[in-house]
Amino acid sequence: MTTAQPAMLVEVAAVSKRFTPQLSLGDRLAALLGSPVETRTVHAVDRVSFGLEQGEVLGLVGESGCGKSTLGRVIAGIHPPSEGRASIAGETVMGDGRTPLKRTTRIQMVFQDPFASLDPRVRIGETISEGPLAHGLVSRADAPAYVARWLTAVGLPVEAAERFPHQFSGGQRQRVAIARALAMQPDVLVCDEPVASLDVSIQAQIINLFLKLRRELGLTMLFISHDLGVVRHLCDRVAIMYLGRIVEIGPAAEIFAAPRHPYTRALLDSVPKLVTGSDELVTFKPIQGELPSPLSPPPGCHFHQRCPRAEARCRSDAPQLAGGADDGTGHRVSCHFPLAGEA
Amino acid sequence: MSPVLLDVNGLTTRFATRAGSLNAVEDVSFTVAEGEIVGLVGESGSGKSVTGFSILGLIDPPGRIVAGSVKLNGRELVGLSHAALRSMRGREIAMVFQDPSATLNPVLTIETQMRLAIAAHESLGDAAARARCIEVLGAVGIPDAARRIEAYPHQFSGGMRQRVAIAIALLNRPKLIICDEPTTALDVSIQAQILTEMKSLAARLGTAMIWISHDLATVSSVASRILVMYAGRLIEAGPIAEVLRQPRHPYTRGLLGSLPGIARPGQDLVQIPGAMPSLIDLPQGCAFQPRCGFADALCATMPALHSEGARSFRCHHPLAAETAP
Repeated sequence: MTTAQPAMLVEVAAVSKRFTPQLSLGDRLAALLGSPVETRTVHAVDRVSFGLEQGEVLGLVGESGCGKSTLGRVIAGIHPPSEGRASIAGETVMGDGRTPLKRTTRIQMVFQDPFASLDPRVRIGETISEGPLAHGLVSRADAPAYVARWLTAVGLPVEAAERFPHQFSGGQRQRVAIARALAMQPDVLVCDEPVASLDVSIQAQIINLFLKLRRELGLTMLFISHDLGVVRHLCDRVAIMYLGRIVEIGPAAEIFAAPRHPYTRALLDSVPKLVTGSDELVTFKPIQGELPSPLSPPPGCHFHQRCPRAEARCRSDAPQLAGGADDGTGHRVSCHFPLAGEA
Repeated sequence: MSPVLLDVNGLTTRFATRAGSLNAVEDVSFTVAEGEIVGLVGESGSGKSVTGFSILGLIDPPGRIVAGSVKLNGRELVGLSHAALRSMRGREIAMVFQDPSATLNPVLTIETQMRLAIAAHESLGDAAARARCIEVLGAVGIPDAARRIEAYPHQFSGGMRQRVAIAIALLNRPKLIICDEPTTALDVSIQAQILTEMKSLAARLGTAMIWISHDLATVSSVASRILVMYAGRLIEAGPIAEVLRQPRHPYTRGLLGSLPGIARPGQDLVQIPGAMPSLIDLPQGCAFQPRCGFADALCATMPALHSEGARSFRCHHPLAAETAP
């Protein structure tokens, strides 16, 4: 692919995703007869826009319930967006008609739990070749060699093709899941917490695998994680999500060194660091309170109830992701009273 | 140095399985002083949780403590009757588990569950019991405890549920709390709140803790001493800052190298090759040998736990004291 044009490979434009459970028959009748029936809508993703450049790794960070996985699934074409559009090289990932169909194989996904994402009754070789065969990426005759190539790429022995998922450890299974996604020859990989369920030493092996694949294949990745250490290590840029919205986005080095959103600052301060000085006093500056319910997000800035800098304006006006143009790095923050940005 | 509260010596716990004997904990010895916070670190299957369960006598068949002793204030706990263990648990040693939704009873209010925990050990009047519950809930950071005590577990968030579990552990003012990955299931911001509160509570009440975790950074922010386990054995122990700065066992160094927070972004991490061996079919001698870059013929024999001052390690080829990771 030519990299001449500066256009984004992946474009996420004002994507929202809401989940509304189906009403029961009784509730529907009651609604028909005019009684007020409460519909409980979860606002998982709220008008999120960003882009991914060719060859870039973007980390999507946030705590449980912030909507990062839902956003990843919308981009990967697993959920249709409620509003907005996700596209890859100008092609919509998923239609928004009555029967939304994923339109592209150019984006693939790796899930968190390799114990749940592999079919236990299907041999590894078949798991990897099923998609490419269905889409005509490889002929049946060439399939074994094709599978072997991808197994080698993720550091598994070629014989693994004949085995079943239960014969592998968690780390090896995650390698299989990565091989399965790569075998579709995607331009973009969406990874949803791919190392979260692994032990530290195995996690390091998989992180190194991602670094290697990136170097060799020039993969573009959306890397969803709650682990700031992993994101800092792997990603060029970082987007921080809070309750359905991106509150800050920018180059990883800059965000980790000088965050501008009070939530990002607090999140970074909450991460336990390895203490190696015997007289270091460990203190945290924990964020007060808990994440509000996405069933009824607070008005204005979603973070204002927990924010030490909040003023009256934060309770009514939702801030927009602004800035970036001036310093040329694309560091943008959604806050009325952003931090100065010093370390 | 405070007097020794818990003295674990040669603890060995095995599980009989169809495939053979699973050696979950082998010859583990350590002490915990009064008021001390000790971190017990290892990956899945290292035996850290089974060590915690063994101390409390929570090993059921097919598991069995086959050797060793656990002494609390000089009193032997291994081999105590069920009744004696029951009266010890909660009153002298309490435990906080990883998943608070699995440890709280979903059909009882928080007050009922807390009162049951008090009633197991002492008879207290209604008003006094309720007052103690509310006081402890307040101490672990539950706002509006007098009203929240009437709620059911599902009405609390995960972080609040874990606070309730911690409150229940504190109710009978135990000397020692064994915390098994108490913050692993929580978000970082909630984890930071709970770590801060646990540390200050332990300091204020003089409660000793064994903090079991796979996360070196979390442990380093609460504990003063660290025990590292691998494949059922204690392989390194010592003051935490020293061990993390200058690990002597190659496995400890490998763990530190695996942490993405330390390396330069984008660089390959120093990874440990392979995976932990099966506890049923352990390699001859040092269990880390197949993954270790320093292994030679000597490593086919089990190294003894070697002590140097406050530190100890189980390795034939320890890293030099001055190598930094």
